[in-house]
Amino acid sequence: MQKEKIDDLLCRVEKPGQYLGSEINSVHKVVNDDTIRYCACFPDIYEIGMSHLGTQILYHLINTIENVFCERVFAPASDLEKLMREKKIALFALESRHALNNFDFLGFTLQYELSYTNILNMLDLAGVPIYSKDRSEKDPLVIVGGPCAYNCEPIADFVDIVILGEAEEIIVEVLETYKNHKKSGYSKQKFLEKIASFKGVYIPCLYEVDYFSNGKIEKVYSINEHAPSLVNKRIIADLENAFYPDKLIVPYVNIVHNRVMLEIFRGCSRGCRFCQAGMVYRPVREKSVDKLCELAGKLLASTGYEEISLSSLSSSDYSSLQELVSKLIENHEEDRVGISLPSLRLDNITFEIIKEIQKVRKTGLTFAPEAGSQRLRDVINKGITEEALIDAVRKAFELGWSTVKLYFMIGLPTESIEDVEAIRDLGFKVAAEYRKVDKEKRGKGLKVTLSVSTFIPKPFTPFQWEAQDDMNTTVEKQQLLKHLINHRSITYNYHDVKTSFLEGVFARGDRRLAKVIELAVKKGCKFDGWREHFDFEKWMSAFDECQIDPLFYMRQREYDEALPWDHIDIGVTKEFLRRENEKAKKEQITPDCREICSTCGIAAKYKGGDC
Amino acid sequence: MLRIRCRFSKKDDMVYVSHLDLVKFFGRAMRRANVPIAYSQGFNPHPIMSFATALGIGVASDAEYMDIQLDREIEAELFVKTVNDTLPKGLRILACKYIDKSEKSLMSIVARSVYAIEIELEKIMSKENIEKEIDGFLKQDEIIYRKERKKKNKGKRYKKIIEVDIRQSMCNIEVLSIAGKKVIIKMILAAGSENNLKPEVVITKLNEMTGVSIVEDSAKVARLELLKKHEKQYVSLMDVAK
Ligand code: SF4
Repeated sequence: MQKEKIDDLLCRVEKPGQYLGSEINSVHKVVNDDTIRYCACFPDIYEIGMSHLGTQILYHLINTIENVFCERVFAPASDLEKLMREKKIALFALESRHALNNFDFLGFTLQYELSYTNILNMLDLAGVPIYSKDRSEKDPLVIVGGPCAYNCEPIADFVDIVILGEAEEIIVEVLETYKNHKKSGYSKQKFLEKIASFKGVYIPCLYEVDYFSNGKIEKVYSINEHAPSLVNKRIIADLENAFYPDKLIVPYVNIVHNRVMLEIFRGCSRGCRFCQAGMVYRPVREKSVDKLCELAGKLLASTGYEEISLSSLSSSDYSSLQELVSKLIENHEEDRVGISLPSLRLDNITFEIIKEIQKVRKTGLTFAPEAGSQRLRDVINKGITEEALIDAVRKAFELGWSTVKLYFMIGLPTESIEDVEAIRDLGFKVAAEYRKVDKEKRGKGLKVTLSVSTFIPKPFTPFQWEAQDDMNTTVEKQQLLKHLINHRSITYNYHDVKTSFLEGVFARGDRRLAKVIELAVKKGCKFDGWREHFDFEKWMSAFDECQIDPLFYMRQREYDEALPWDHIDIGVTKEFLRRENEKAKKEQITPDCREICSTCGIAAKYKGGDC
Repeated sequence: MLRIRCRFSKKDDMVYVSHLDLVKFFGRAMRRANVPIAYSQGFNPHPIMSFATALGIGVASDAEYMDIQLDREIEAELFVKTVNDTLPKGLRILACKYIDKSEKSLMSIVARSVYAIEIELEKIMSKENIEKEIDGFLKQDEIIYRKERKKKNKGKRYKKIIEVDIRQSMCNIEVLSIAGKKVIIKMILAAGSENNLKPEVVITKLNEMTGVSIVEDSAKVARLELLKKHEKQYVSLMDVAK
């Protein structure tokens, strides 16, 4: 097989070190006729993709399977893409530099909706037909997974296989089955039918959608006897003993998360009503302190990294956080290893841990009140009081911190102008608290950042039926805050309204959006999450030409309306989500489910949770 | 305080790794190899290493140098072996030697760099003719190179053209071999913090000022050696008393 010749190109692009494929701990196997070839594709640039833990886990896991070789590819930066198109060089896997159309599987990670155009652009650059129906038996199978896979209907027509939930077990089963099929005369249809019944596999082409004349969905149904009418997600019941790599690829170039990433637990029991991750990753499963210390030791030794970051949806919820942090410091302090807790939410943190980490390195502190007023925090079930928050902030200031970041959302259900103004009030109160702390104790130069994003209703959350604010309303609220927050020590930032609009359309989109995405790519849309690339006008003209009204997807849904993702089952019941939405309207909170079970349905279906 | 001086090569794909990334890379390589490297004090401790020069992206080299400070002595041979075991293809420690703490830093002693450059000619020429052209080129008293400098003033970026005479920075240029249109040229150029001339600049000037026409972007550069001045001679950076 021919390697793509890229030497001449590498001299002419920025950061060529990202395209070499020979990084420390990358895997290189000899390719022969029986080798099953899988390429882990990340639809964003290298430095984002290499910071994604899931991709690294899968890469090393798949490479443990005999006769299967997993490589990597990322969306090439614009300078390289331009040269590749000029010189007619096909998109290639980094390790072997073989063009992607030689592969059996192209596995895309769906991290965010705005990367859909990059998937199509990468397939195009690889010379692989974008529609599943147009790919022959010889073309690669396109397989997707990740958070957006739970409702990947907008890209369903481009995809052959969807992995729902945690991939560690199911991907091995799929690959082993493929191996056997290949030995005994492979047919794409037969293979897809075979795996369609596996728990955690969804084969979109085996389902059809009927629509009412008003555009709403009548029903989604299986059209093949092998495809179950309801597709279940897959989880790892025994996380403690599940595969976790003892090495990670160490990039040559600097990336966002250039450190050991250690996953400490999965799931979240807080039940915030806007949060998709909190619902789809249920139930909570923790790894033991001993296991984590053992892994940390191996990972630090194999990578040479000088920093380790504990990864989860919310580090402070790990039941033995203090013990874990102390042990890690004890084991690695001499080697000058820093520890960072990226999703450390000060909402409930014990300050003992902060003192520990402070010994090694000062990480930024973040709070996520999400809403400015107590009323709205009750609506979204963010069980934190202003008192507790201010108390935590004061302690942080007393310990010498002077930089804090607060996350908020605007556009939440039931939000009033007073709720928006309360964001400013809370920011000002935090700043005032700093002044109250003894000058000797507090750090210099107060910096409070109020980071305000736009609420986007996501599938599989209690708010999945709610309307998303239209763009004018969002802009008004953003400008109001901009006007209100004029404070020397407070920085206010907010999200681009058009980007959030598009994300909202795709988050709750259906199969009819495929042609809009296809057309947008033809018009040159890619890297839509990057301000310098995003071209809203092109998107609008694509919707227009396809005669699809994007506002249709932003509207409020009735409880009895069929949703595009109704054939997917995440274990948490629709009944529970509806109950939660009703409680939200009454401003009633639901306690953390480790206090009392709120019968979300997951425990009835899945073993292994700490429920 | 223990200091160890290493000579290493950087070739193949590793030529695409930038100098800054390489510094990070070596820090981690030392940790993987369990080398007792010394760290700076402070909140963000970093390994104490220093390099002779920064090699440009795309340039191969058999003569890169770094000094590393160690907390504890390890056998030089063992050092080379354990570090090499963790390095990817293209990076190799070739030699190392403990040096005295009074030894001057690499950066301050580098004076000359020797390069081999492969170029492609627009049309075939004989070796004699190329040599004649180079002779004529070197006979000039002055060779002016116009350099673009990006500047910043009160937040505004602008470009400024400065003129430099590079003749005195060229110590020697000779033809090593020739095969069809491919010619390999050896150059000895001034290097170091005071005066540094890049071989690509010389190639541009040769193309501009002589009858040797070179295909654009065809030059492949490799560094053969870095030298320092010792008494009246130029010697290897590894040439240290101890
Ligand atoms: S079953 Fe109960 S305890 Fe378990 S995740 Fe659901 S609500 Fe929480």
